[in-house]
Amino acid sequence: MNKNLYNENQTIEEIKNTFHTAEIKLQRESRIIVKLRSDLIPPFLSYAKNYLAFNHLAHFSCVDWIEDNEFELVYLLYSYEKNIVVIAKTRISRDKAEFVTIKHLWRQAETYEREIHEMFGINFTGNDRLNEFILEDWDDIPPMRRDFNTIQFAKDNFYTRPGREDAQDVRETITKKSGEKIPDFAKEFSVRNLK
Amino acid sequence: MAINLKGIISPYNALKQAGKKPHTVQYPFEKKEAAERYRGFHYNDLEECIGCGTCATICQNEAIDMIFIEGIETTNGDSGLRPRVDNGRCCWCALCVDSCPTGSLSLTKEYLHVSEDPDSFLLIPGLDNPEGKEKISWISNGNSLLDYQRVPMPELEGKERVKSFAEVVLGYSEEQARAEAARCVGCGICTDNCPVHMHIPEYINAIARGDDEMAVKIIYDNNPLGETCGKVCTRRCEEICAVSKRGEPIAIRWLKRYATEKAKNKDILKEIVNPVILPPNGHSVGIIGAGPGGLTVAYYLALRGFDVTIYEAKDHAGGMIMYGIPKYRLPLDSIEKQIEYMKSIGVKILFNTKVGKDISFNELKQKHEAIYIGIGFEVPYKLGIKGEDAEGSIQAINFLRAINSEKHVEIGNKVVVVGGGNVAIDAARVSRRLGAEVTILYRRRVEDMPADWEEIEGAEDEGVVIHPQAIPLEIITDENNKVKAIKYANAEMIPDPKGGRPRPKIIEGDEHIIEVTSVIAAIGQEADYSFLPDEVINAIEIKRGRIVVNEYQQTKLPWLFAGGDIANRRADAISAIADGYRAVQGIEKLLLNEDIKNGGRLN
Repeated sequence: MNKNLYNENQTIEEIKNTFHTAEIKLQRESRIIVKLRSDLIPPFLSYAKNYLAFNHLAHFSCVDWIEDNEFELVYLLYSYEKNIVVIAKTRISRDKAEFVTIKHLWRQAETYEREIHEMFGINFTGNDRLNEFILEDWDDIPPMRRDFNTIQFAKDNFYTRPGREDAQDVRETITKKSGEKIPDFAKEFSVRNLK
Repeated sequence: MAINLKGIISPYNALKQAGKKPHTVQYPFEKKEAAERYRGFHYNDLEECIGCGTCATICQNEAIDMIFIEGIETTNGDSGLRPRVDNGRCCWCALCVDSCPTGSLSLTKEYLHVSEDPDSFLLIPGLDNPEGKEKISWISNGNSLLDYQRVPMPELEGKERVKSFAEVVLGYSEEQARAEAARCVGCGICTDNCPVHMHIPEYINAIARGDDEMAVKIIYDNNPLGETCGKVCTRRCEEICAVSKRGEPIAIRWLKRYATEKAKNKDILKEIVNPVILPPNGHSVGIIGAGPGGLTVAYYLALRGFDVTIYEAKDHAGGMIMYGIPKYRLPLDSIEKQIEYMKSIGVKILFNTKVGKDISFNELKQKHEAIYIGIGFEVPYKLGIKGEDAEGSIQAINFLRAINSEKHVEIGNKVVVVGGGNVAIDAARVSRRLGAEVTILYRRRVEDMPADWEEIEGAEDEGVVIHPQAIPLEIITDENNKVKAIKYANAEMIPDPKGGRPRPKIIEGDEHIIEVTSVIAAIGQEADYSFLPDEVINAIEIKRGRIVVNEYQQTKLPWLFAGGDIANRRADAISAIADGYRAVQGIEKLLLNEDIKNGGRLN
């Protein structure tokens, strides 16, 4: 199927000409991913809104790349005129979790930022409503950070109903059958490492 | 007065809605169908599930327990456990479904459950809701979190390989090993199929976490030939790997190879393994044959303070791993490193000492309190066809032994290998490296070949021609009694009415002749027990060429233990190691435990 990607290519061309360092990828029809240096995000969003007719902030989210010690901020912009979604991505350091607000471009960004602040602990300078949002009396690390131990949290906070005591350990069941004896120094590694 | 026509007609507009379905709740109540990808109650295909427990481990709400269910037993490849979901805790994130290796777990469209009994929220998917099978909505096809593709092992190219005896497999890089290790779900199902029950999930986890030295230490806990197994193990573990149900199994063997190769020499190995060596306990044990089984016995007994001596007929230790396995699979320096390490912890090996010739068995009996026999199968079977004694007709095991001892063997340029096991493939690939054109004749089909599929593929890559369903009839010789050609007949497969594997039957008249310069027979071996005195032979029991032993590898004579090919039918290194490991426990009990009753029988 040969799709007419005129609008997409036009948009990519325009972004490229204005932001030379942007890494642009046409993911599929009506979906363009733009990776930018973090200091270029506010000018890019402003440019996309005012000059390229991406006047709708459809979503704003965050990803925790704990291996790289970085947070990725993801802005989804939509243009009714072109029927294209532009996904602007940028990475900021996990050690200094701070970024500038974009609420002067879209009012609803204020709420997205409140949520990201609460779930990932990112501080948005210029947004003065970063107060308690959904979580009540939260005193742990922000729960969407990947180093937050969800299982431990569930253990500590939820009651285990009676009648679940017959749960078995899979590894133990197999060693019991085979007669394998796991030495003490290796036991630490029996704990599964699922990512 | 003008009539407001619009005002009269407008109310009737509503009539156009009359034929439509109302948006309000139907009465009598009609349950709406949930969306296509709705995530409701779990369903588990109890037959497909192998109880690996990945669902219970990944669950972030601790909502899943693994429990025994009546009628499902712990078997080889199945823990016998099945998940039970606490729906009071479940948040229907479907992580359990997306990480299920077998794909047995799914979510259904069913989501309504109203009850005053809190216990009714504990659901055993599949058992409590068999009707869920018809309502599955969320499966892990396409969104599985597991990686079903193995990290490919870098290898030499087929054309490059046949030029020398250089090692074919190049080994994983650190990055590749970490990526491969990260695929493991850590269930441990595999350990049951390993004859010696190595701690597989533990050492793979150590590699995934970047602790290679710990991985080596864990490997050496019950396998003193970890590097050998890392290169040439028959890896039964991978056959039942949970991930293999839908994808390629974890490359357990290659990961073991990666970890053990980190120890470049015996000193580094000793430093990493850092074994506890107990002070001498005054007991002495003799071992006949320095094969994998004998070495295992020697290693662990030496660590436990026994005085051990191995009597080896040849001038190198290793048995079949030294003389049977070609050097492109297991290089000499790798074997030597492992043997040197064993010597460094106190194992004594007497080379060129054949029991029955250089030292008598009775002498051994007087010197040691217990004896382990691990002599292996060294005497090849013959084809039993005409012309077999001609010059140029040889047995694979003798051929490989000569090549591995760096002797010259004249095979000419056109070789036929008879057989379909690993020995046959080894002989064929070695012949290729000596520059011959090689054809393998095998009685059954390629899929029936007992050889490792990677070995078969490797042979084909190197240009070995495999001719299945071919039965040799006669070796044709010239006037000087030299091999000239081989006559064989094609066979058809006759299904076994008893359900066994199909048997080949010669097609009458479909006979062919190939001109050859040598014929190599690789159809099996047997043991030579002639060194044992008659009274010992009579006291122990030998059944179909194998010595009968108990669970501690003890023969009918309490002080005599046996293992390896002469005691098990699996005929591989890891089984011999397992036999050795069991014998160690038996010998330890026999010599250190005063309470052994029954005249030293360990039962």
